[in-house]
Amino acid sequence: MNCEFLKTFFTDPMKLVGEWFVILPALVLLLSTAAAVVVRNLIHAALLLTLSFIALGITFIALGAEFVGFVQLLVYVGAVAMIIVFAILLTRPDQLTKSGSALSGIGPAGGAAIGFALLAALLTFVFSSPMARKPLPASVSAPVAAIGEALMGDYVVVLIVIGVLLTAALVGAAVIAMEDKP
Amino acid sequence: MTLQIVLAISAVLFALGLAAALSRSNAIMILIGIELMLGAANLNFIAFWRFSDNPSDLAGIMFAIFAIAVAAAEAAVGLAIIILVHRKIKSVEADDASNLKG
Amino acid sequence: MMALLDRAPVELLHWFLGVLGSFGVPAWILAIISALIIIGTIIGVFLGLFALTSVMERKILARVQNRYGPNRVGPFGLFQPVADGIKMITKEDLVPRTADWVVHLLAPVVMMVPALMVLAILPYGRGMVPAEFDAGILYFFAVGAGTEVAVFMAGWASNNKYSVLGAMRAIAQMISYELPLVISAIVAAMIAGSLSPSAIVAAQSGFAFGFLPQWFAFTPWGFAAAFIFYICALAESNRSPFDLPEGESELVAGHLTEYSGFKYATFFMAEYVGMFAICGMFVTLFLGGWQAPLPFLDIVPSWCWFFGKACFVAFTMIWVRATVPRLRIDHLLAFAWKFLLPMSFAAFLSAAAWHYAGRGPLAWLTSLAIVGIPYLVLGTAFTNRFAVSRRTYQFSE
Repeated sequence: MNCEFLKTFFTDPMKLVGEWFVILPALVLLLSTAAAVVVRNLIHAALLLTLSFIALGITFIALGAEFVGFVQLLVYVGAVAMIIVFAILLTRPDQLTKSGSALSGIGPAGGAAIGFALLAALLTFVFSSPMARKPLPASVSAPVAAIGEALMGDYVVVLIVIGVLLTAALVGAAVIAMEDKP
Repeated sequence: MTLQIVLAISAVLFALGLAAALSRSNAIMILIGIELMLGAANLNFIAFWRFSDNPSDLAGIMFAIFAIAVAAAEAAVGLAIIILVHRKIKSVEADDASNLKG
Repeated sequence: MMALLDRAPVELLHWFLGVLGSFGVPAWILAIISALIIIGTIIGVFLGLFALTSVMERKILARVQNRYGPNRVGPFGLFQPVADGIKMITKEDLVPRTADWVVHLLAPVVMMVPALMVLAILPYGRGMVPAEFDAGILYFFAVGAGTEVAVFMAGWASNNKYSVLGAMRAIAQMISYELPLVISAIVAAMIAGSLSPSAIVAAQSGFAFGFLPQWFAFTPWGFAAAFIFYICALAESNRSPFDLPEGESELVAGHLTEYSGFKYATFFMAEYVGMFAICGMFVTLFLGGWQAPLPFLDIVPSWCWFFGKACFVAFTMIWVRATVPRLRIDHLLAFAWKFLLPMSFAAFLSAAAWHYAGRGPLAWLTSLAIVGIPYLVLGTAFTNRFAVSRRTYQFSE
């Protein structure tokens, strides 16, 4: 019952369906993100954003970073998307659909223009750089054990700093959002 | 499949995030835009790790994990601030929070 | 003979694939067929378990409450699920006019998919893991997070105040209880030295003194972690005493208020399958997975042990439902953040102490102390805080 197919599917998907395994979730990612950015209704934007987080996680898995993909799903879908939704519901339940009045000076057109300018610049660099034409190396994998050893070895200071940061963020968020005592 | 494709995807994602952060006036949408840009950066880290000559060097993976942790902390604090601002001025439009404007 | 029975599902699959292969079916089609058979079997088994549990739950509740329960359809009311299913499918599918119908339609699907997807990594028996990979535990919780999205979608799309309130409660509860749930699971992973479920099962093999199974639940830290995991599992699958998102006395049916017919049945099914999945996870992490509790019972096939233990855990959940009253929402969140979370950290430290003190008698003492002292302190603080004076009813005499 230990199925080779599923095993390959998760550990080395490239071998199975080729590059489509990366490109399909990436397409979902881009489409849902674009929809999330333009859609009027904030809740719909948040749900589309959740879809794009899921697609990003699957893209990570497709690229061979299984652990990062699962962490992405756990943190973004389980926590970040949910607190965004909570914040939307807590801030303006009466005017959910009203949004899109422009930021002074820039406006949606300006934002889109800056976005396109940046995109054009980035794509020019990406497609002109010889380094980016590198073909895909043979399948690689990052075993969880190796990641764990790196976290506890070379990167242990960073891990502790992140732990302090997360604790501070937890306490800080709770204090900021707490009701003022009169 | 070359590195170009993944980098192009991540560039589009980053541009979308930037456009969202610049053009929407709702503070929550601005935060969402920032999250998208961080996601694009993570995609680049993973892509460069995947296409590197020495995949046993896990620096790319480590960066992505730490970036996710920082992004989660940022989202929590940012949304707490938005809720607090909403409580004070009854609005989440970034333009309305202009009390400190000289 | 018994060894053959133990491996029967695997052997059957291999035999079938061998037959197909002898007809010259290419390997990749065989791989897909094999995957489909495995997926179909698992979904079939779990939906069968769902049908059985839905009737057993009503029978057990009825027994506890001193009444008969369903006993009209078939022998002992065993065909009740069939009748329920027919009723559910033929019911009218109502969608409120002001509902966001796309999200309303998608919510049951989003609920069902993660509930079925998490079944892929549970080790059902000796060498019977559908998808064996490194970060199996992480996969379980990462995919399980999708349930929260589904609950929110259901609550918001219904455009009903009860639904939104129920969904907000459910999400607050699930996020709060997810922390101790994951931390107590990590405790088992830490001692086993792996995030893969089959490695965790393997780490619990063997018997102390020739008869005591070395399951993680039989160590001080493991018992504490198992207890926390069990409570959080109740909360995560929205079961009583944590079922206040659907508390009918205050919120009608929470996020399920506007659902009817097949969509409601899908939610119901997903909740039960999710409950069984988390029971399976509990068995894998703390109760030795598919391993027999006594050496001579090894002759019983391993998958029987897995499903037997999972059913037993599910039975205790039903028992708890019949016994314990529903909590209030602020008590519920305070319990998660002020008791379960510190206790899960204590279990974490205790496991570390147990490992470094050499797993002998000294290890037992230290880890017991590290778990026991916080339990006593927090427990006393909590019982004093929520002290309930004896109720005297005026007209009861």
